[in-house]
Amino acid sequence: MGVGVGVRMNSVAVGLSRDLAPKRVMRAVAYGHDLAVWRDGENGLHAWDNRCPHRGMRLSHGFVRGDRLACLYHGWQYRKDGGCAYIPAHPGLEPPETIRAQTYSVIEKSGVIWVSTGNDAQGVDTGPVSEPLRSLTFFCAEAIARAAFEDTPFAGNLPQVESTGRLVAGGHPVAVLANPVTESETLIHVLTSAGVGIAAKKALSRWCEAARSVAERQAA
Amino acid sequence: MTFKLYNYVLSGNCYKIRLMAALLDVAYETIAVDFYPGFEHRSPGILALNPAGTLPVLTSGDMVLTETQAMLTWLALTYDVTGTWYPVDDPERLATITEWLGFAGRLSQSAGLARLHDMLNWPADEKAVKAAAISDLRTLELHLNDRVLEGGLWIAGDGPTIADIACFPYTALSPDAGLEHDGYPAIRNWLYAVRALPGFVAMPGIHYLHDLKETSGD
Amino acid sequence: MSTEYARNDWYVVADVNQLAAGQVVETRLLGQPLRVSGSPDAPLVTTADGTALPAQLRYDHIWTSPGADPRPLPDIAEAAERDRTFVPCGGVRVRCSPLRAVENFLDIAHFPFVHTGILGEEPHTEVAPYKVEIREDVDEVWATQIGFHQPQAAKSATEAIETRYEYRVPAPTTAVLYKTCPPKPEAWDVIAIFVQPLAENECIAWPWMALYDEVTPYADLVQFQQEIFLQDRSILENQKPTLLPLDPRLEIPTRCDLTSVVYRRWLKRKGATYGALTTAA
Repeated sequence: MGVGVGVRMNSVAVGLSRDLAPKRVMRAVAYGHDLAVWRDGENGLHAWDNRCPHRGMRLSHGFVRGDRLACLYHGWQYRKDGGCAYIPAHPGLEPPETIRAQTYSVIEKSGVIWVSTGNDAQGVDTGPVSEPLRSLTFFCAEAIARAAFEDTPFAGNLPQVESTGRLVAGGHPVAVLANPVTESETLIHVLTSAGVGIAAKKALSRWCEAARSVAERQAA
Repeated sequence: MTFKLYNYVLSGNCYKIRLMAALLDVAYETIAVDFYPGFEHRSPGILALNPAGTLPVLTSGDMVLTETQAMLTWLALTYDVTGTWYPVDDPERLATITEWLGFAGRLSQSAGLARLHDMLNWPADEKAVKAAAISDLRTLELHLNDRVLEGGLWIAGDGPTIADIACFPYTALSPDAGLEHDGYPAIRNWLYAVRALPGFVAMPGIHYLHDLKETSGD
Repeated sequence: MSTEYARNDWYVVADVNQLAAGQVVETRLLGQPLRVSGSPDAPLVTTADGTALPAQLRYDHIWTSPGADPRPLPDIAEAAERDRTFVPCGGVRVRCSPLRAVENFLDIAHFPFVHTGILGEEPHTEVAPYKVEIREDVDEVWATQIGFHQPQAAKSATEAIETRYEYRVPAPTTAVLYKTCPPKPEAWDVIAIFVQPLAENECIAWPWMALYDEVTPYADLVQFQQEIFLQDRSILENQKPTLLPLDPRLEIPTRCDLTSVVYRRWLKRKGATYGALTTAA
């Protein structure tokens, strides 16, 4: 159980907004697609097929200059619309329109980055529970990972499960979002509410790790 | 000359010293040791200097250091005019730094050995060292995420210390062993911060940040 | 997957250092386990069932071929010039197609971004036109008249120079680079890469050099080349697909990629498809 259950979703949570600063790029997986998710210099967010059309290099290893993402291998630069703008080996060449990175739909909601493989990304509104705690990988299937949060005590007590699917652990509201990376690997994002203090957040972070131990023991 | 470094270019431990010296802007002499394929670290000359046969070895005058974390301490205390890389006047912070220097030693036995195995066919129990490496990356991620929750970034306190330099190489190089950073956002952002430090030098497997230049394509 | 062509080439499976140290090397070739033992002068290569394969010492490495009728091992004439320093640089395992490893070796446009400050540096990114041909008489790919601005072309280089390059591909997994020799401008430095295909998607690259450099300590020469090759490794492990696509529609080349275009065409023509993606886009 968790936020989003029962909602027909076309999008998946690939990361916390907090963890991707302007002019940075990261790798993400959405529905089995390998993606490069990056922010331009004006904080605009982009999700692309993680492959430079030139030599197949993962663009998530690349770098952002201004409003362009560049491939690490040969420095080819791509505009926000995915079109190739510049080939350093041929500075005078106007790259043909046919050289372009495949783009995906991406939005931010509730402090989370959501990607769709269709053309209309949606995010879940987690209401006041949109304070980023952390993202972490579980080596198990999504269902096992989700269930583990309900089965893992916080300070000696099992968390309560609310009708919304949210959990309350030690009095702190928690939203758990899951991205199934593979059948045996799940990327979990955990949110709490803004009023929770630093010490409690650190305790919740350790509770997430305890849930991971439970899940990975079960999957082993 | 300030000091001599017996160096192997692909060693993450040697890189700690090259990186720290670069960040402190200290010139030094390197002596290349053919660790692979020549196994020169087991040669009589190196063994006479360091019976353990490990690299790096740092010498300055009559002093011979063979433990990387000790070298970082010496470099900071000798050449850091700001006193920030190894802040001796702050017991709690200094203890935290020492804690992570110990962790850095473990990391070279897990992620470092996994890398040597995958890259240079070094003998190792692949499954065991990779499990240990993942456990260590998770330990670091937990701590760095704590720092983010506190509004911080670095391993100990408000700025970089020798603990960051000690933990950086084998964390950054873990993809050499197939251990990617995708599931470790706090580690990823911390690695970037180290790479963005003024005077940073790269090593194979850790590229320069080309985004810090704005020279071409406009 | 076809090993038909590949079986009749020669491959490096160990280097002279390993056998000189008395090592017995357990390795793989074209997906099959192999054992390399013996001494550098009398190397022994055996398959899992104990069958001995032909083995020879050339260019400081142990070579073998699993085929019934192997083509000749590529000749590198400079190996006979005894005033050169010969530097076997050790094997580096890479999770990529052996053909991708060779293609990267033939590429210069990546120097400013992957070998920053050594083989290239912005803003000197432009690749001038050069010449590529298949020399039919020897069935080799040659790229000539290549020039590139390099901050430190070799360990022996004391300043940035305009380096001249020629590339030669005498076999699908063997490539040789002839490069300006800073201390001896009338001669070429020779840098080769011998790629051992462990499987279609995994290989060991064995760089080897034959240089004119009487000054630089040997360990520095080894490390200079290792530094460069290991900078490429993280690139090679992140190319998708892992296999080298031979369908020209799958990856988009530009003018500076002419060597790669001709290399791919040459592989396709020969049926040298081990490590290649042969399905259409």
